[in-house]
Parts: sequence; structure tokens; C-alpha cells
Amino acid sequence: MTLIRLIREAQPEVDLKKTYDAIVVGSGAAGGMASHVLTSHGMKVLLLEAGKKLDIDAELKSTEWPYQHKRRGEMPVDSHALSFNEYTIRKPPYAADTKAKHVYSYVQGWGGSDYSKNIVVDERDHPYTGTNYAWVRARLLGGKTNIWGRLALRLSDLDFKAKSHDDYGEDWPISYKDIAPYYDKVDLYLGISGVKENLPHLPDSIFQRPIKLTYAELKLRQSLKKMNRVLTPYRAGVTTDGLKHNTYRSKCFGRGACNRRVGGCDIHAAFDSPTGLILPAMDTGNLTLRTNAIAREITVDKKTGKASGVSFIDAETGQTYEAKGKVVVIAASTLESARLMLLSKSSTHPNGIGNSSGHVGHNFCEHIMGPHISGLVKDLVGKPRTLDDGKPGSFYLARFRNLTDRHPSFIRGYGFEGDSGTSIYPGNASSTPGFGSSYKKSVRDYAGAFISMGAFGEVLARYENQVDIDPTVKDKWGVPVLRFNYKFGDNEKKMAEDMATTAQEMFTEAGIEIIGVSRRILTEGWSIHELGTARMGNDKKTSVLNQFQQSHDVKNLFVVDGSSHVSASCQNPTWTIMALAWRSCDYLADQFKKGSL
Amino acid sequence: MAEELNQPDPGSCDDPNLTRREIIKLGAGAAIAATITTQVGTVVANTSQGKNLLFFTKEEFALVDELTELIIPADDHSPGARAALAADYLDFSLSESVDESPKLLWRNGLKLIDQISQEMNGKPFLSSTPEQRIALLTRISKNEAKPVAPEEQFFRELKSRTAHAYYTSKIGIHNEMEYKGNVSLKEFAGYDAT
Repeated sequence: MTLIRLIREAQPEVDLKKTYDAIVVGSGAAGGMASHVLTSHGMKVLLLEAGKKLDIDAELKSTEWPYQHKRRGEMPVDSHALSFNEYTIRKPPYAADTKAKHVYSYVQGWGGSDYSKNIVVDERDHPYTGTNYAWVRARLLGGKTNIWGRLALRLSDLDFKAKSHDDYGEDWPISYKDIAPYYDKVDLYLGISGVKENLPHLPDSIFQRPIKLTYAELKLRQSLKKMNRVLTPYRAGVTTDGLKHNTYRSKCFGRGACNRRVGGCDIHAAFDSPTGLILPAMDTGNLTLRTNAIAREITVDKKTGKASGVSFIDAETGQTYEAKGKVVVIAASTLESARLMLLSKSSTHPNGIGNSSGHVGHNFCEHIMGPHISGLVKDLVGKPRTLDDGKPGSFYLARFRNLTDRHPSFIRGYGFEGDSGTSIYPGNASSTPGFGSSYKKSVRDYAGAFISMGAFGEVLARYENQVDIDPTVKDKWGVPVLRFNYKFGDNEKKMAEDMATTAQEMFTEAGIEIIGVSRRILTEGWSIHELGTARMGNDKKTSVLNQFQQSHDVKNLFVVDGSSHVSASCQNPTWTIMALAWRSCDYLADQFKKGSL
Repeated sequence: MAEELNQPDPGSCDDPNLTRREIIKLGAGAAIAATITTQVGTVVANTSQGKNLLFFTKEEFALVDELTELIIPADDHSPGARAALAADYLDFSLSESVDESPKLLWRNGLKLIDQISQEMNGKPFLSSTPEQRIALLTRISKNEAKPVAPEEQFFRELKSRTAHAYYTSKIGIHNEMEYKGNVSLKEFAGYDAT
């Protein structure tokens, strides 16, 4: 049995008299990686996290059975999760018209949500305004990495050089060859599971032990080969063989609460920033952590115009503090980083720090989702029960649109995530008609015979899709909130139509009986893959950051999270966020040593 | 906090499967039902005799208990909703509801069942024969996909809550569905991606 070290408890008082080499704002995938890389270069780093430090293992209890929980895993009755209808009919702030004591984003409407209620934010304390947007946030040490979906994909030059391919938008200021060594480092340091497929548009990682497929998935994979499309076992950001260099994490042993709940891995086989990056960084002796520290403004040295530190509000006491740093690294998440930059106005930076281009908050993009399909594999009806959910994910179907050909109605592409087989709860219990013995037998016979998948597609980066600061509404701590001005466009809507059509083609070809197809597009934000509000670029007039995620305006300011992405691609962003942050922080540390910042 | 994470191990946790003896007991009737202790240590299930009901009256509870068992009955494969104490869970969850509408739906729905039974058979539901009970449920489940009449809407609510209570219970998960997961695996189960 693997011993997992005790996560250290009380924090020592943080010294705010000294000037740190770097202050990192945010402790998720990006901030965790920045903390890891900068401390490994010997820099003294202060990490500010707006949320609390939870005893995450006590929250998740991932092996608990439904019947061992008073409410079978559901939240207390005074808590409410927002629904698709509420996101559609109402306008944000969504909690305003709700009677419930606590209001959460839609993810808390999934099964087992009682285990994640302290991880995601209460919408009452965290309002936002503007157009409809399903914004999912987690304010705690490690941020959303505590509950992420774990799909860990690489981008390719089809993404980095998308403009060169179809003449839309902007190319990234980097190529695959620039980031590839850093993807490798992330693979090796954090662990990833998968199968090599040699696809130029979905590059392979350095994989650990792969997940296996169910009968239904293998059948679909083999059929897709004839169509030159690839279904591959879920590429999970999970260590399936273990990591000798990290004693905070265990290897995956397929206990499989991964898909029974909102998320979360209490043996930390799935990557999370605290055990994967932050605790090891603290072991270097170079990292100081301050939780409950809500960054309010990047402070500026009036003489040089450079960043001088971060002023923050203590989330518990409301008191304001100032931390001093030689370099500031923002990693607060795509939307919170934009908010912080826009809030950091000064005489030297009247539009917000790093925003001489006026592009901060703009070119906001993400993934569109909603269209999905479910089908029945008849060979499996009435077969003995198999173990199908003892793994961190099921399958990914790689992009096949606009690779070499050109689709007549839309540019870019989409991939599918899917699932099949038996799970702990028979989803067909509600859809099977009737009652009595025949109903009971039917639920039992069919429960393991279904397969379903849903698509994630690229939303084009457009200047007019943006967030700014609401002039009147403030959050619980008096900080002005974000106002959304963001809508899917025509390209996304046409792409969504195609998702439903190709899903049907593929199931039909594989001999899977289609039982349901949905063409419905879910509310903006649903994918939780928001990107691009402070994009990189070579032209300082149309971009915020250079290729090292360094501000064009303020050379000791870096923004290392998803806000820097130039386009969304259709692949899940976490692995790219970490690879880029590693690359940029290597550059930062080098420049710091040379005294060039 | 423990020095090491309480890592799950198939040998160290409660046997998820009911013992043979438990099943025989459950089959013998609701009077000797299993007691399930939650992690917080509170007893959520009790014997059906002399229990502390939280929402239903004694009469309502007896009716609900029978209705749930008719929806998911014991068969030669596994015990049904009665043995799984579905009515107890419904009593608990309805008692917790902050919204009055589900409570009202149940109170009125149960009255309707007896009214319809009177119309059809001239006696309350629990006094009617097994065949008459099934005939009544067949009638109110006719428009299950698109319920219109109040009793049809109640059937949908009754069935959906019964199914949830049953398939999240120990009997539902382990005996009926024979769920194989939530165990530690040396190798992932399934097929290699060939």
C-alpha cells in the first residue's frame, strides 16, 4: 500500500515585509506550474490563492457508497444547482432570483454533488453580469484541478498555425516544436495515460499504462477505422504507473469514482495542482503560500511603470494587504486574470495593466458543446454484468473535420468524449416504461448495453466576444465583477449541426441502434474551457503577451494561464496551459538571473 | 488527520454484498429489515413497526411501502423495493423538502390512489386483491411518457423516486444490479485498443 504523506496543516504567518522574487496569483494548473518551475530555479516565490485550503480527502470520500450517505450523495435541500433552463431564461447574476440559501453552477446538479459543494463557489458571493454564461469556478487551493475532467490532450500545428491553414484569426507566436519538449516534461512530471495513435493533429504523449475499452467502444473503434477516424482510450492526466519522484500521489487503481461524481481523486492519481505541483514546490523551501488572499490589484512602481507587487483582500477578515515582488505572474484563470488586469488601473496604465492594446478581455473563446448521441449495442442486452467504470475515463474520438479537406459550411473542428457500459446507477431506470417484474428485468438486462458521446468544438476567437468590468455590481468583498458580452457565432452553430449528423453516421456504420440524438447547444461557458482574454502575439497592437506570456507593456509581468491562448482549438486545454507555463517560467527565471526583468 | 490516506482496500471495508442470512431475513418480511448505518453514525432505516415516521402517516407509509414494492417487486433474482426500505428513504427525503409542492403532490397522490381504488373496486387500495392493485397501477401508468391527469403525474413521481431509492440502495446496487465497481484493480478491465 502506498504511503501518502500528510498534507501540512497550519500555514506560518506570511512575511509581507520582504520583497519576493516573484508573486504568483492563483494556484490552479497554471499557478501551480509557475510555482513549481520558479522554485525549482531557486527563486523565492509567494503564491496567493483567493480560496481556502480544504482538507480535500475529507471532502471527496470517493469510495463511499450511495447508501452510506444520508441523502445518497445529494446536497442539502437548501442548496440549489442552476439548470439549463435557468441559464437560458434568466440573466446573470443568476442567484438573484433564487430562494435557496446556496446557489451553485450546473455541475452541482450531477450525482454525488454533496462531495463537491465546498469546492465550487457559491454564486451568491460571486455574481457576474451581462450575457448568459454558465461560469463554473472553484476557489480553493488548486482551483478547478481538484475536480477537472482529466482529459489531457496536446495541440498541434493545425491549431498553432490555424490561420495559415484557413486564413481566419491569428497564428500563435509559437509552433509545435517550441512546446513539444515542454509537453514531454509535463507528461513525465505529472503522468498521463493513453495509447499512441500517430495522428499529426493529435500528437501522442509519453504515455503510462492505458485505460481499456468496453466491448461497445472496441466495436465502434474498429468500425471507425474504415472511415479513417480514430476512437482512442481516454487520454487521462492520471498516473497509472505511479511517479517515483512524487510521494503525495498514488497510482490509479481503478476504484473509479471519477465518473460517478462531479470529480476529484482522493488518492491523487489524477493530477491536481496541490499534490502534483504545490506541495513538492513547498518542499524546496522556496515557496510561501498565502490562502484566502483575493488579489485586488497589481501595484505599479510609478517611476518605472513596472509591477511592484499585489494588493490583496483577506477573504475571512476583509482586511487589505500588500505583497511586494520583483516579478508578478498572473494565473488566476482566463476570466479572473482579465478581471484583475482590468481592475489594475493606474496613471501609467489607465486601461488596466498590460492593456495598451485594448485587447485585455477580448478574443474570448472556448469550446461549444451540447450535441450528443446515445445508442444501444444489442449484443450486450441480457449479458452478465461486467466492470466498465473502474477507470478514469472512457474514450475520446479525435477531430476529423477540416484536416486536409475543407468543409463547405464551417472552419475548424470538434472531437467527441464518450462513455459506455455499466455504471453504479442504471440511467435507463427512468426511461424504461412500466412497472413490476418486467420493468425490473428490463432495467437490469439493458443497463450495460448503452453507449453515448458528445462533442466539443472550437469557438472562433473574435474581438467582439469580450468581458469587461461592470460599473456597479460588486462581489461579497466589494470587488467590481465581470460583465459578459459573449455569444456563439454562425460558424459554431453550423459546426454543432454537423456534430449531430456525423455522430449518427458513425453509430449507424458501427451497427449501433440510435436511441437518442440531441442537437441542442448548451449555454455559453458549459465546457468550462474558457480561453483567450489576454492573447499572445508578435504584434503589441493586437496582442497582450509575447510568446513567453510576458506582457508587451510591463516586462516583469507574466500571464501564464488559458487567457494567453490565441485560439481555442477543440482539444481540452489543461495540458497546454501547463506546458506553456513551464516554458515561460524557464524563460522568466533565465531573464531574472540575467537581471533583464 | 491520519498519517496515511485511508486508502480503500477491498478487504478492509464493509462487505458490499448482503449476506445470505440478511437476504433470507429480508424475504421473511419487513418486520426484520436490515439496519444501515451511515458514516455519520445515524440510523437511517428502522423496522417498519413502531418506527418514527418523518413525513408520512402510518397509513400513508403502509400504502407507499406497497406501491414501491409493486413497482420494483422481489423476484427470483433479488429482493424488491420493500426490502430495500425505499419507503423509508422517501419518508426521509420528503420530510427534508423545503418546497411544499412535492409534499402536496404525495399527500394528494396517495389520497387519489385510494379514491380510484374505491371507484374501481369499492374498497381502499390495501384492501383490494393483488390483481386489482396491478390493474390500478396499469391504469395510472398508461400515459407515463406524457402524463396529464393528476394520478398519472403522481405515478411518474412515485416511480421516479422509487427507482432512485431502490437503485441507490445496498440491495439495488449489489443484489439486483450486481455492480462490480468501486474495487481496487491491478489492471483495468476491458479490451485493449487494437
